Amino acid sequence: MLAQQIMNGLVAGAVYALFALGFTLVFGVHRILNLAHGALLMAGAFIGLYAVLAGIPLWFAIILAMVGAGTLSVLIDVLAFRRLRASGQAEFGAIISSIGANLVLVSIAQRISETKVLRFPFATFPVVFYRFWGLRVSLLQLAIAGSVAFLLGLLSWLIFHTSLGRQVRAVAGNPRAAVLLGVNPDAIYLRTFFLSGAMAGLAGVLVGLSFNSVHFMMGEPYLLRAFVVVILGGLGSIAGAVVAGMGLGVLQTLATAYLPSGLTDTIIFSLLFLVLMVRPNGLFGVANTGVGRR
Amino acid sequence: MGLGVYQSLFDVFLLNCGFAFSQFIVLRAGVFSIASAAYAGIGGYATAILVTRYGVSAPVAVAAATALGLIVAGVLSIPLARLRGVYQAIATLAFVEIVVSLGFYAEDLTGGAMGINGIPKLVGTGTLCVALGAVLYLMVAIDRSGLGRAFDTVRQDETVAGSLGISVQRSHAIAFIISGGIGGLFGGLQSLYVYSIEPQQFGFALLVSMLASIVLGGRGTVIGPIIGTAILTALPELARPLAENRPLIHGLLLIVIINYLPHGVADSLALLRRRRRAANAV
Amino acid sequence: MEWPILWRSCAVDAAPPMPSETLTLRHVTKRFGGVTAVSDVSFDIPPGRITGLIGPNGAGKSTLVNMIAGVLTLSEGDIRLGSRLLSQAPAFEVARSGIARTFQNIRLLAEASVLDNVLVGFHRLERASLASHLLGLPASWRETRDLRARARDLLNRFGMQRYAEYPAGGLSYGHQRRVEMMRALATQPRLLMLDEPVAGMNDVEAAELGDIFASLARDGMAVLLIEHNVPFVMRLCAEINVLDTGRLIASGPPGTVMRDPAVIAAYLGTG
Repeated sequence: MLAQQIMNGLVAGAVYALFALGFTLVFGVHRILNLAHGALLMAGAFIGLYAVLAGIPLWFAIILAMVGAGTLSVLIDVLAFRRLRASGQAEFGAIISSIGANLVLVSIAQRISETKVLRFPFATFPVVFYRFWGLRVSLLQLAIAGSVAFLLGLLSWLIFHTSLGRQVRAVAGNPRAAVLLGVNPDAIYLRTFFLSGAMAGLAGVLVGLSFNSVHFMMGEPYLLRAFVVVILGGLGSIAGAVVAGMGLGVLQTLATAYLPSGLTDTIIFSLLFLVLMVRPNGLFGVANTGVGRR
Repeated sequence: MGLGVYQSLFDVFLLNCGFAFSQFIVLRAGVFSIASAAYAGIGGYATAILVTRYGVSAPVAVAAATALGLIVAGVLSIPLARLRGVYQAIATLAFVEIVVSLGFYAEDLTGGAMGINGIPKLVGTGTLCVALGAVLYLMVAIDRSGLGRAFDTVRQDETVAGSLGISVQRSHAIAFIISGGIGGLFGGLQSLYVYSIEPQQFGFALLVSMLASIVLGGRGTVIGPIIGTAILTALPELARPLAENRPLIHGLLLIVIINYLPHGVADSLALLRRRRRAANAV
Repeated sequence: MEWPILWRSCAVDAAPPMPSETLTLRHVTKRFGGVTAVSDVSFDIPPGRITGLIGPNGAGKSTLVNMIAGVLTLSEGDIRLGSRLLSQAPAFEVARSGIARTFQNIRLLAEASVLDNVLVGFHRLERASLASHLLGLPASWRETRDLRARARDLLNRFGMQRYAEYPAGGLSYGHQRRVEMMRALATQPRLLMLDEPVAGMNDVEAAELGDIFASLARDGMAVLLIEHNVPFVMRLCAEINVLDTGRLIASGPPGTVMRDPAVIAAYLGTG
């Protein structure tokens, strides 16, 4: 039973990791907290759902969701952040601006869905279970694990083995120096925002399929958990986000299974709070939390 | 609309002003704390529980709520004043979520998701005016003192503040504690005004509306939060479509204001006036 | 303008005069990762005179200032003011012990008025209690009124009274530097560190400020002057220290230092 819970937790954690990766990527490159990231997950789920309802096959609906959420993410960058970047008040300003973007997206979704919880049509994804080593695994869980692993591989290849990745790392390290080296930061921002949005969009469809529930507020709990993931893993750290995402998934599943109901959130956010007190840079982080002499 | 509608709108405005000042004082000192919603929740529940369960009188219950806000913020300030920027924001957000989740979990004490109902309405316009007046006095006193100057310096440039002997940590801690006191006070007053409270009302939405009024009004002048709150409270009343799309309008306002009027309405006006006066003088 | 008089009238009469003390640097070293920015630097900054610190770009001058000011940690060595160890003290404690500075890239509160910018400099002298600040007691507002008057005095003597209400960020470069100096002087320091105070000024303006620095030193203040303008430093300083790639390559009176082959080589770029 414990092994089953841990496996379920790892699959849930894979989605957390996928979602939090975009969040931490934008922070790493941009130094801004995008609080509209949860809304991007919701938008991805909405696009995927309405595409499926319109008769589009699921695989193509997923691509539409990723492209759609990615495009929205770029739009948020252009409309809500671009001006702030020049002003030097980006840290505070971006928090405010992205809260605004979040409100806008959520209220549009609320309007579209008429505040209802929406569901994918029955058997959008084949309901198949496999058993091995005493564990029960659904085809959907396998698909989630497979697609997340594929995307993580793709992302780390992009970041560590391509010229785009070198430019991203250069801009993340020092935007002004990167400009001198001939990197166009705006192009980098555009790409990181697209990637980040696309991953959130995919996470949205996967979440919608797993719980068979899509609604306008679904992004908020994931955004709050993304904070936990990126702080545990270290703000801006990709490897950290993956490990912490999986860890959070397991922790949450176990807490739900073995502890009194309702205590899970308290534990998760207390953990976040404690980590910030004890080790604000997280398990892998290198960012400067900024107190005292440097 | 009758007069009563306007009066209750005015009461809501007074309450929101109080919450806004809890948020204002930390931002003024350059603290990225968004814990005010949590202080309001703590004060609100403390008051509701003391009054409904233990029959404590309203003034004592509200005083206890204020004291609790001060104490909680004081304890929080010790670890939080060591953090900066986004880390403070995330830590205080975690704190808000902890308070909300405890509100849901500790059913015996808080009534869980159902909240606490049947709280007597012991607070009216007069009490709210007195409380807000006291907060305003405190704000103006700080504004005109060395503490206000220290806050302004810390907010604008921590390195400069340090070079002048201003302790950033101490300034942040003081701002934290004042914020906790004001949050607890108005949380308590709100409980005795609205008949019932539930955990969800002290979460993300309250936090956003507090931030919105400061961003709109300004973080550098005492009048800022009042202007911001007045606009946000009045806007939905002006036209029905505005009321129906309140979150959408809040969202658009936040984006537009922070991008095009980053100091908010009041601070921008003050700056404009200073520029004009200076231009005349030189 | 009578600078010594300025100093006595706006500093000495309100607060007890600070005993002058020498700042000593011993084996001060700073490494960033694998790069050594400042290496084994030792010299003194005594009261009553201007000590110069020069060197080519990237020699480590600002790193050194930031270590003294408490912004950067030391990798090795120590810094003392008199007998007090300051190597580990945070910036605000360094400032409270009587060390003031200006910044190489001017850092003013851009939207605050000139008067308010100078007013915050008096923080170190504030005595009103926290309670009196919060409750708006007379102790607090009297203090503000008194300090405001003293800030105006300082403005008058710097010839800046016309700009009192002007937003500091809108001033010319030279005037902004003056505001920064007034702010630093408002703290009544024992040691004043000036990081390129006359950069971008013409010779007349520079000479005017030079006279001010000299009079501050005559009155017993320790002054550390970091400059690129070699003739300016030669004229004002009793002793000059030369940094090159993080090392102290020469120390001594201006005449001697400027004839030092190592210094000449460093400045011609062949060292």
